[in-house]
Amino acid sequence: MRIFAPNTVVAKSRFWYFLMKLRKVKKANGEIVSLNLIHEKRPMKVKNFGIWIRYDSRSGTHNMYKEYREMSRTDAVEALYQDMAARHRSRFRSIHILKVVELEKSEDVKRPYIKQLLTKDLKFPLPHRVSKAAGTKLFVGKRPSTFY
Amino acid sequence: MSASLEATRPAGQKKTFGKSTREIPHHTEKAKKWYPAEDEAAPRKVRKSIRTSTPRSTLTPGAVLILLAGRFRGKRVILLKNLSQGVLLVTGPFKVNGVPLRRVNARYVIATSQKVDLAGIDEKKVDEIAGDKYFAREKGDKKKGEEAFFKQGEKPEKKKPSSSRAADQKAVDKAILSAIKKEPFLAAYLASSFSLRKGDRPHEMVW
Amino acid sequence: MGDAEIKASSWRLVEVGRVALIHGGPSDGKLAAIVEIIDHKRALIDGPSTDTKTAVPRQSIALAQLILTPLVLEKLPRGSRTGVVKKQWAAAGIEAKWQESAWAKKRQQKERRRALTDFERFKAMRLRKQARFEVRKSLAKVKASA
Repeated sequence: MRIFAPNTVVAKSRFWYFLMKLRKVKKANGEIVSLNLIHEKRPMKVKNFGIWIRYDSRSGTHNMYKEYREMSRTDAVEALYQDMAARHRSRFRSIHILKVVELEKSEDVKRPYIKQLLTKDLKFPLPHRVSKAAGTKLFVGKRPSTFY
Repeated sequence: MSASLEATRPAGQKKTFGKSTREIPHHTEKAKKWYPAEDEAAPRKVRKSIRTSTPRSTLTPGAVLILLAGRFRGKRVILLKNLSQGVLLVTGPFKVNGVPLRRVNARYVIATSQKVDLAGIDEKKVDEIAGDKYFAREKGDKKKGEEAFFKQGEKPEKKKPSSSRAADQKAVDKAILSAIKKEPFLAAYLASSFSLRKGDRPHEMVW
Repeated sequence: MGDAEIKASSWRLVEVGRVALIHGGPSDGKLAAIVEIIDHKRALIDGPSTDTKTAVPRQSIALAQLILTPLVLEKLPRGSRTGVVKKQWAAAGIEAKWQESAWAKKRQQKERRRALTDFERFKAMRLRKQARFEVRKSLAKVKASA
């Protein structure tokens, strides 16, 4: 079973949680034989991930499909938890990750927010920036130049 | 009670009462009939010990220092010798910036990376000045009599620098002055005094 | 109403091959090229300088930490690996171009000024004073004759 968890303790706990949902097994009747940390195969490559989740909202249970553009699978899941917390105020405990898939072909990308990043020769300016140089004073007589 | 204390106690008296003899303690050993109304103030014991101090690695003789406290704060001076207990012997030189031979606390000093060559300096003189007695205060007659009291209105005579001190100053500074002359801008640098300007961040400066 | 003249903006763009200066973080003040845009706030960068001191390891970095330079590695394929970037970096002579730029020179001068000791600061002050005096003197002469 592939489990996304912040540490081994949580991982073991989540393992029993999901196993009990699948089969009639208790922790008392079993033992975890091995637990391996799966490292990203190519952590220096930008990939698109599709994630299917099941999540308990305040009023019911929903299935969702979301896409993320990250360097690793775990980064994508991390981003998912942040995203779900931001948009739906949902917690770790109310999200089940069903499937995480790397989208190798760009046709497989469904969501427009990832599609827009796959356009050919993508380029954009950084038109408005507030530079925070060290040693600048808190109160100055001149407005900062945000032109860049 | 330690044995030594026991010995210092005044001895009692042996007296015979009838057949037996009894030792009568000395009268100072007897319990007092009354206690002083106020406790006698006993000076507090100092539990600190004087340890040898190691000067900062930047405080080597010949280094140019910036004084941070005292009458000559901001002046740039030359370190002559590290004395014990974190005290430094410095000189202006007097002719350059008016700082005489002087002892300063190493804590209130910034050491710069600039060095002045101290070769040819009168080592004996420096050692003499570095001694305990050189800067000791002259003990005048302390008692102020009636006369002094009536003289309060008048200005006391100004203390003049002793001629021997002035001679020592000259003797020590002579070699240093010739070394300073060799380096351009150095005399002007020593004559100028240090101060923080707007936007200066002393913790980020290189000295 | 006059005719509105429409010109292309002269923004420096976040694009594949754009060389950027890193501002803040462990590789502060080093140069790296954008290899791939991750999203609107992050990019994958690689700084394959031959000098290990100025080299930047391949990493994802927030665009807020980048300052875009006018230098661009043209024809850098999207998501290319370090070897390719290194070749193009050397072929374009990015290092030399950067060193020549006024921006880099200004940065270098600032660095040098910051590393001055107390005595050197004093000397710089004195020399600047002398230069200023000469300039003013000649200016006064010109003014007097005019």
